[in-house]
Amino acid sequence: MPEPTGVIHDIGYQRYTGPRLGRRHVFGALYLHGVRTTFGLGRSAKAKIFPWLVVGIVLTVAAAVTAIRAQIGEAVMTYAQFADSMSWLVIFFVAVAAPELVSRDLRSGVLPLYFSRPLPRADYPLAKLLALVTALWLLLGAPQLMMFLGAAFTADGMRGVWDELLDLLPGLLYAGLWAVVFASVGLLIASLTGKRAFAAGGIVAVFLMTTPIVGILSVLPSQTANQLAGLASPSTLVQGVGIWTLGDLLITDPDAGIPDLGSFGPVYALAAVVLVAGCVALLLARYRKVAAR
Amino acid sequence: MSTVSWITARGLFGRRRFLLLLPLPVLLVALAAISRGMGVSPSDWGPPVLIGLGLAVVLPVVALIVGTGVLGAEIDDGTVAHVLTTPLPRWQIVLPKLAVAAGVTAVTVAVPMFAAGLLADSVRLGLALAAASSVGALAYSALFVAVSLLTRRPVLLGLVYVLIWEGLLGNVITGTRVLSIQHYVIALADRIAPTNLLETTVSVPLAVVMTTLVSVGFTLLAIDRLRSFSMAGETS
Repeated sequence: MPEPTGVIHDIGYQRYTGPRLGRRHVFGALYLHGVRTTFGLGRSAKAKIFPWLVVGIVLTVAAAVTAIRAQIGEAVMTYAQFADSMSWLVIFFVAVAAPELVSRDLRSGVLPLYFSRPLPRADYPLAKLLALVTALWLLLGAPQLMMFLGAAFTADGMRGVWDELLDLLPGLLYAGLWAVVFASVGLLIASLTGKRAFAAGGIVAVFLMTTPIVGILSVLPSQTANQLAGLASPSTLVQGVGIWTLGDLLITDPDAGIPDLGSFGPVYALAAVVLVAGCVALLLARYRKVAAR
Repeated sequence: MSTVSWITARGLFGRRRFLLLLPLPVLLVALAAISRGMGVSPSDWGPPVLIGLGLAVVLPVVALIVGTGVLGAEIDDGTVAHVLTTPLPRWQIVLPKLAVAAGVTAVTVAVPMFAAGLLADSVRLGLALAAASSVGALAYSALFVAVSLLTRRPVLLGLVYVLIWEGLLGNVITGTRVLSIQHYVIALADRIAPTNLLETTVSVPLAVVMTTLVSVGFTLLAIDRLRSFSMAGETS
């Protein structure tokens, strides 16, 4: 039997000796990648069409509102009302962005690769959720900032600018509430399926089919049912919280058919908190199951 | 029943996710029944349920999911190659698939619409809504089948049409209603059973002509696109 002639060559493999970034950096990278994904940044031109279509429409509306205000001197809508009037576009943006964030990873089966990093299971969905919240807030906040700049440069003196700023800040907070509620509901639905097409259809179906329930509840012959009607749909729920907390900033025209909440304002706020908490809990439960596979 | 339509029907019903389509029609009937039971006047609950939910949400969303599902799903996972390599003329692939999509959508939508119309007014309104939404199902299906051959993201493009064109623009700029299938359906139903529940600005002859044009035109477009169809990989 001849002597074994095999030789192990040193082909230069090296151990990594640099600093190892921990959980915070993994989370940060996922979050930043998520925000870029929602707007299609760093992706092909095809991935940018739908997000930037929505961004283009909201910015056009904001520019039109700003121009009308600068010319006529009369505010068409307040900052808080902007989010309300854009609700269909927000739903469409969630239907575009949420499946991109979570459904692709489910479909291509790369989750085990993510979870082989020092990444706790809850961090992955939370980073994606935070990314979607940020994207929605930017979508609603950037046009408001544009309206503010237009109003600030036409306002007389620092006093007027300060008043505008005091109007803008609640508007931005209200946009944040829209973002949190819509992102948590949308991401939960999208995380249920790996097919982007079905996720988008499901998100739109859930948001749109709840609106007529509000319409029915608000014509029932019971005043309590009418005042609680808004709880049935995410957009009217958010609007209810806004009416309770912001009041005059959201209702400029008392005859415009604004829903009457009676004394149930706190119930709306509580329902919004419960809805978001419930969706996040279900999302975490979903990823415990997916990650275990 | 040709093999293509058999395969298509099995592809639609074979998966559990078809059950996701059921909540919409059930909700439609449930809301109509609750409103009727609580004694609300039909002029109050009719428009939000029949138009706001039935014709503006249930019909287009069901048609979108089914219409893009019959061909788009096969293109998505590449199994359409098996159908395309058979010596079938392209129209014998598109027409059975379109028939299945329109049929499934029509049954899923027309039955609850009939029930809701019956609860709202009369058998006549129920039949009118069922007939009109079946016609609408054909037009929507032709549109969405064609869209799934024109782009790799058919559902999102369909949502742009349903949400932004019909939902947003149709309410703000009434002129855009002449290109909105939803308003053709309303006009047709209102013509068959005149009530004060359904209102639109689109005239009946225009609705008839445009519905035919949409159905035939998009079917021909789909057949033409499938003739020169090229398979591509997953989009980024």
